[in-house]
Amino acid sequence: MSGADPDDPWSLLRSARAGQRLELKDDRGRTWTGTLVPRPDSADDGVVQLKLDSGYNVGVRVSPGSQLRFLPPESERTPTAPQGRARTAGGNGPWVSLLTTGGTIASRVDYETGGVRPVQDEGEILDFYPELQAEGPVRIVPVFDRLSEDIAPDDWVTLAARIVAEFTDGAQGVVVAHGTDTLAFTSAALSFLLQDLPGPVVLVGAQRSPDRPSSDGPSNLAAGVRVARSPLVGEVLVVMHAGLSDGRFAIHRGTRVRKMHSSRRDAFESRNGPPIGYVDADGVHWDREVRPAASGPPRLDGPIDRAGGLLYSFPGLPPESAEAFAKDLRGLVLAGTGLGHVSSVHLDWIRRAVAAGKVVAMTTQCLEGNVDPFVYATGRELQRAGVVYLGDLLPEVAYAKLLWALGHASDPRAVEALLLSDVAGEFEWRHRSGGDS
Amino acid sequence: MKAGLEVHQQLATGKLFCDCPSDLTEVVEGSFARRLRPASGENRAVDAATSFQAARGLLYRYEISNASCLVEMDEEPPHPLNPAALDVALTLALLLHARPVDEIEVMRKIVVDGSNTAGFQRTALVAVDGVLELGGKRYSIASICLEEDAARKVREADGEVTYRLDRLGIPLVEIATGPEIETGAEARAVAEEIGALVRATRRARRGIGTIREDVNVSAERGRRIEIKGVQELRKIAEYVDREVGRQEVLLHVADELRGRGASLDGTRVTDLTTVLGSVDTGPLARPARKGGPILGLRLPGFAGLLRAPPGSDERLGRELADQARSVGLRGLLHSDELPAYGVDAGHLEKVRVALGAGPNDAFVLVADGDSVRAHAALERVRVRATAAIEGVPGETRDPLPDGRTRFSRPLPGRERMYPETDIAPIPITPEHLARLASRLPESLSALRDRLARETGLARELIAQLVAAGESDTFEELVRRGHAPAIVARLIVQDLPNVPRPEGAEPPALPTRVLDELLRAQASGHFAKEGIPNVLAELARGAPDLSAAIERAGLSGFSAEDLERLIERVVAANEAIVRDRGDAAFSPLMGDVMREVRGRRDGQEVAAALRRAIALRRADPAP
Repeated sequence: MSGADPDDPWSLLRSARAGQRLELKDDRGRTWTGTLVPRPDSADDGVVQLKLDSGYNVGVRVSPGSQLRFLPPESERTPTAPQGRARTAGGNGPWVSLLTTGGTIASRVDYETGGVRPVQDEGEILDFYPELQAEGPVRIVPVFDRLSEDIAPDDWVTLAARIVAEFTDGAQGVVVAHGTDTLAFTSAALSFLLQDLPGPVVLVGAQRSPDRPSSDGPSNLAAGVRVARSPLVGEVLVVMHAGLSDGRFAIHRGTRVRKMHSSRRDAFESRNGPPIGYVDADGVHWDREVRPAASGPPRLDGPIDRAGGLLYSFPGLPPESAEAFAKDLRGLVLAGTGLGHVSSVHLDWIRRAVAAGKVVAMTTQCLEGNVDPFVYATGRELQRAGVVYLGDLLPEVAYAKLLWALGHASDPRAVEALLLSDVAGEFEWRHRSGGDS
Repeated sequence: MKAGLEVHQQLATGKLFCDCPSDLTEVVEGSFARRLRPASGENRAVDAATSFQAARGLLYRYEISNASCLVEMDEEPPHPLNPAALDVALTLALLLHARPVDEIEVMRKIVVDGSNTAGFQRTALVAVDGVLELGGKRYSIASICLEEDAARKVREADGEVTYRLDRLGIPLVEIATGPEIETGAEARAVAEEIGALVRATRRARRGIGTIREDVNVSAERGRRIEIKGVQELRKIAEYVDREVGRQEVLLHVADELRGRGASLDGTRVTDLTTVLGSVDTGPLARPARKGGPILGLRLPGFAGLLRAPPGSDERLGRELADQARSVGLRGLLHSDELPAYGVDAGHLEKVRVALGAGPNDAFVLVADGDSVRAHAALERVRVRATAAIEGVPGETRDPLPDGRTRFSRPLPGRERMYPETDIAPIPITPEHLARLASRLPESLSALRDRLARETGLARELIAQLVAAGESDTFEELVRRGHAPAIVARLIVQDLPNVPRPEGAEPPALPTRVLDELLRAQASGHFAKEGIPNVLAELARGAPDLSAAIERAGLSGFSAEDLERLIERVVAANEAIVRDRGDAAFSPLMGDVMREVRGRRDGQEVAAALRRAIALRRADPAP
């Protein structure tokens, strides 16, 4: 607190740390007693936030006439330091590795300031989720610390390498805790990057933050760990709530899943077909054929080339903007309308791009159903222009696959051949329906 | 004794954090089930109330109604705080001369009993330092908060609690007084005044359950007890007075225990299943405990202090039994009530030996099919018995219909509050407050003065009208030309007394219908005395007023019919009329009224009868 001018409330406040108890007499003579709280996104508007003894936070306007006095901390309310012990917990035997990628996997309330603090220390995470170790040990492996929207294609490779290392080290299965926004991009990329998996790789997330008692994160995580202990399964999966209720979780193939709602717990859905299984109180149930675990060592099937893009088509999209977007790319996935169309005004630049050796691939904004170039004239012209039609691949999955394919081949025809081949169960060949009732 | 009140009034502004209506409904569209975990379990400082609730590990089922959306389901982030509800809270702050905060921070208050899908209730402090003047006394208003109501519990069975989401998110304005209330009657008066004040904003929801009181009571030397969720204002005085009585008994017990040097140090839970294996009736019998153990705990120095003292119904034994119930047991047996319940003197002697209990010691017995639960119950009993030596532990208690209260959970602390980061802080500007100040509703005292002056009605009656929140309806009907006395009686007496099923709300009849009713009565379609009957028919679902009059059996008796009836009665009693003159009025009036009660006005009947008697006497004898 040295250097603060005792008569200038703002100078004093700047010298104070969150958690400081203080007494603030405002310019109307009202004295507020409480604990200084960090104010999220604080604007420079002359307001400080205090946690009152009642537990409520209030904002108090500080003016030049305000009087400020620091108070000693309340002795019985000394902060409790987290007792983190990095470890593998849960006994001996085959373990599941839990890879954390950032975001908040668990939170605790800081009772000094009333703020919420993320739990990132490995030991603390295990303390927080004792149920994860119910069926065997769990090893916590922090990989990086990024919000989901900040996870970039290079991170996919880092993550894949770490997963290979965990299996090589002897892990029975791997769980990746991941933010939900881009979780399906990562699950698709890992599906292409990881080959000959000796066990399951399960991505899980939370649609409700762990700072609330109702978070879906803990139960998704527990279900994910159960799936990761499944022997004989060797593919990349996503495990999230199957519905609104806690207690039933869907197992999605990493290349068939999409976040279909901005906030619901059951936002993740398999498109063009049902999930491949479920987890409930009775255990893990597989409804569809799964890729069997490989007996040999796992393989990181890199690299990727980031020179690919994904463009959502819309009425009025200027062809010159689209061409400019594709300029520095080696390949482009179009999310077209309906059966896979863009306006015929784009035909010219597409022909030029293909002639220049770029790969242009088509998916549908409808998300459900195949693209098909043969039904309408525009489709036929696009195909003649060199656009490759990718069946029922989801646009995001096609993008991840494109980066992977570009990393594996330099010749555009070879890239196209990779795009059209079945690498990780990403195509759904039969589309079925149960009828209207 | 010192008591403070927290009055919670629901607002009819639509929900606080979404765009659903603030209506309750019986339409259930589906359901889902969740579990809650204390997300913020800082091991060493976990809030007592939170850990207590979470330890129960229940499954919660939620019924979706047409008055709920994804926000109530905790499937969508909250929408911005409802500005109309905020204006009501700020208006009340101004009416109560309180100081609005400079910036509102919405908080999450952890509540893991399942009544909030998120596991917390959103609440915000809006104003502090208000004052309420009533009956010549000043009560401080410690705080005015805006919070969301919880889901309503529909049923509870087999470890699953079912809530309906319609009530979740309805705005509650919470007005808390300082601890300056000294009697139960005063508590009721303050609660009524605050309720009327909220209704004066014209944005309060109406009906049973829309206003709830928490009563904080501390007897002298006692700790703070929060009686949570009193719905009937008239019961407040009883709850307060009985709570004071309870605390007095428990404080007396504490004095006695300390005098005896009572302590639970070194006592431990003892398995008495073999000792009491021959008990074959009552709660300890094998079938009743489903084969589970019988456990005992010695309470050294407690002998004779578990039962109620002479002249009181309060006893420590019940407090201990409430602890056993709080973990799911049906109750417990204590030595002050034994021998009984299938336990005889022989059993008691064996129990005393097994527990090492001397003549000054008491003991409690529990039995349950679940051994873990039975142990947990006795641990709670041990904690509660230890607290009994100190005095009255602070706790939250539920009001019971008979005026008693029962332990529900430990008092929550400030530890369970943290910021709701999904809602940005809301600055309160001087311009906003000035706008609200320019259109404040009339203060209640000004309203009472004006109505008394304008109508000449008794102040007591005016006070009842205002307290019922019906001054608007009253003024509207008077403006439409009805006599103030008749309108007042209609509102404060006839409407609340309309027969209805137990617990149902008084009928909410539109002002237009009440107007028609009074008009029909004034123009002689039926008598004043018939008003309750017509109201009852309207409440029972009569499609319109004439149907209600018809169903009440009051239609079709005209002034001419009355004349003819009186003529007939007078003629039939000619001898009495001639012999006794005016003294014949009373018996004849009785005869006529038996026929016309409710159909013609009593005064009209009396006047017509007097006229007929006079005429008859003036007539020469035949």
